[in-house]
Amino acid sequence: MIAYIARRLLLLIPMALGMVVVTFGLLLLIPGDPASVLLGQEASPDAINNLRNTLGLNDPWYIRLGVYFMHLLQGDMGRSIFQNQAVSEIIVGRLGATIELAIVALIFACLIGITLGVIAATRQGSLIDTISMVFAQLGVSMPVYWLGLLLMLLFAVTLGWLPAIGRGTPLLQATAAALTGQPHVLLDSFAHILLPALALAANSAAIISRLVRASMLEVLREDFVRTAYAKGLRRQRVIIRHAFRNALLPVLSVIGLRFGALLGGAVLTETIFAWPGLGQLTITAISQRDLPLIQGIVLTFAIIFALVNLVVDLLYAAVDPRIRLG
Amino acid sequence: MSKALSIKSAALLVGFSFTALSVAHAATITLGTDVDAGTLDPRLARDTTAYRVADLIYSGLVHLTPGLEAKPDLAESWENPNPTTWIFKLRPNLKFSDGSPLTSADVVFTFTTILNKDFNAPQRALYTPIAAVEAVDEHTVKFTLSAPYAPLLSYLDIGIVPKTLVEGGADIALKPVGAGPMKFSSWTRGSAIELAPNPNYWGEKPKAHKVVVKIIGDGSARAQAFEAGDLDIIQSPLAPQDIKRLQEDKRFGAVVQPGLGVTYINFNTKDSLLSSPKMRQAFSMLIDQKTIVNDIYQGVDAVASSIILPSSWAYSKDIKQPGFDIEGAKKLFKEEGWADANGDGILDKGGKPLSIVLSTHSEDSNRVQTIEFMQANFQAAGVDAKTQISDWPTFSTNYVQKSQHQIALLGWLNIVDPDRLLFAQLTTGGSTNWGAYSNPAVDDLLKQGRSATNQADRTNAYQKAATILASDLPYYIVSYQGYQLFYSKKLPFEVQATPRGNMRGLIGLKD
Repeated sequence: MIAYIARRLLLLIPMALGMVVVTFGLLLLIPGDPASVLLGQEASPDAINNLRNTLGLNDPWYIRLGVYFMHLLQGDMGRSIFQNQAVSEIIVGRLGATIELAIVALIFACLIGITLGVIAATRQGSLIDTISMVFAQLGVSMPVYWLGLLLMLLFAVTLGWLPAIGRGTPLLQATAAALTGQPHVLLDSFAHILLPALALAANSAAIISRLVRASMLEVLREDFVRTAYAKGLRRQRVIIRHAFRNALLPVLSVIGLRFGALLGGAVLTETIFAWPGLGQLTITAISQRDLPLIQGIVLTFAIIFALVNLVVDLLYAAVDPRIRLG
Repeated sequence: MSKALSIKSAALLVGFSFTALSVAHAATITLGTDVDAGTLDPRLARDTTAYRVADLIYSGLVHLTPGLEAKPDLAESWENPNPTTWIFKLRPNLKFSDGSPLTSADVVFTFTTILNKDFNAPQRALYTPIAAVEAVDEHTVKFTLSAPYAPLLSYLDIGIVPKTLVEGGADIALKPVGAGPMKFSSWTRGSAIELAPNPNYWGEKPKAHKVVVKIIGDGSARAQAFEAGDLDIIQSPLAPQDIKRLQEDKRFGAVVQPGLGVTYINFNTKDSLLSSPKMRQAFSMLIDQKTIVNDIYQGVDAVASSIILPSSWAYSKDIKQPGFDIEGAKKLFKEEGWADANGDGILDKGGKPLSIVLSTHSEDSNRVQTIEFMQANFQAAGVDAKTQISDWPTFSTNYVQKSQHQIALLGWLNIVDPDRLLFAQLTTGGSTNWGAYSNPAVDDLLKQGRSATNQADRTNAYQKAATILASDLPYYIVSYQGYQLFYSKKLPFEVQATPRGNMRGLIGLKD
């Protein structure tokens, strides 16, 4: 088991290197020059060229890639061209907000998706099944930025219940504050995260609910379920203890993948809700051609995604005794 | 049910705590903006947020009023003994927000660094006519120019930075220290910048006790956050659709006025199709400014008539570019030898169809719509028009700035002096003359315009140049951009807007 984890972690290294090379290649191919964006329209060609020299952008690509790797090996992701700060510092400052949003969204997605899926499967063909599946269809097809604006319009502008934008105190700190007698801090944080997390969760909730429904329907037809009923167990117990636990397996692997999708979806959600995370930063970095920052963000996302998949694989083995890792 | 209830009660509690907060800090002003500042060092500022926040944290030698007149800020007076010498007298006992004294050495340091090529200041080109900056004594600074340069005063509002602190290695890009009305408190990158009043500011104290500048990238989301009460003030850039809605809302005060920007067509005069002024005139006559301004921009911008802004002292309503006239355009094309010989609906000459590429950038959906609308009119006149739309870095650096374009739609901002839209852009070999326009008569007039010392002479030169440009058309000015500001009527003081979007008038100061 430990050997397996070690091997998977070692595999991260070639993956990260590959990721850097691919991103670097893509950034070479897209047109647009950070020096010119940085200096603005009024800059003279001379000034732009001077800055390109300073930034090392006039060096051949293999030297730039080599230099980047050298620095990366020393744990240095370079300096952002636009923000006057080390890339690693910027990313660390933003990562917490994105992870928080993604985790809360994942929890929402699982709660909504699994509940709807189980209800739909156990009442197949009923009105509630139809409603659940219409919701699932909507959730899959509605773009996150559109849903985000609609939620904001309803809950923040029209009803005025929730703040439209921004982030409260980070949830961990807010929880600590709540425990020391300041519950309003936690409520405020929760009020801020509710809309962006719901918007971000909708798509995953829809996918999870459809999968849970299909998986439950399959399991409910299995012999062991009939046996359980035949033993005289109550319906509720059969569904939860026997059917649901088995139906959960395929869902688990999808939840891992959804976490990656949530990180991707965070790019748009964060921009709409002014959530100060990595997603919002990605959009800014790309629109400015902030090359070191884009590299750093892609690398960070790739590593997180790989780690989450590792965790899911381990969980999978823990839940399903038929799977042996090693 | 219980979940729904708990959400509602949470919302109620949150709502309650917000009301409590807003009563407690009555003079906390929350402003919305579209981008995070890249830096808070005024010398390196390049985005609107950086300019606007730096104007609160720092003070310059002069301050520009909403009418763009220079009035004393750190300098209490100045004189201009000859056309190439400017002498500024600083106020006594000036201090930065950290308590250290501000002297002529700081002024000299600020401008020396801006002029240093390797410092890469984005605005360096505006200051290059300065040949030397010297400290005459602790409170006197002398600027020597290489040639008379009338617009200089408009650019001396740039913030003065603390020499000792910067040379000591302090990073004022992230932790700025200036001598402006507010001082820096905190900055959560990508989210918010917080400021508090600067006790060492020489002038009137701002009425706001705290200023929060919130960054909300999406325009619609920013407008909605304002409507929801999360923001007290928002300003341009805003989508025309949002502007209309906010204007009709009685909870908000609105300032809708001409701004300092233009949206224009850049003709590449090096292109064989566009080298003759007649062809440029013909293409210009296919641009339906009224529909673009009224329907696409929903009337928040204004139809432009010449290259001089109507708010400028140099403006004359008698200078007029050609207006929308499809038949007139067809006539001009005919005079240039373009006719539909093969009957396919497209004009041709020597067997070659009249094909042209219209381009702009994708970030501004109104510009994209404008280009598409122009395309339709071009086609109606028998021009085979194609559109090319790419994101800003691609469009600007790899296309227009390399003179790869034919007809490009883009804009200029911050035109505080006519020189700023003309000299670098339209003199022969000018640093931003991407359309390679060259006309010795215009060159002479633009040189006169920047070197003449009295406004009457300057006006005369600019009006003559604008008259030539209105028929030569290296630029066709489509619209004068509007400036909009919306504020909550609950603010405890009066709001004063400036077309540059600077914020001193938004925190309870007279701008």
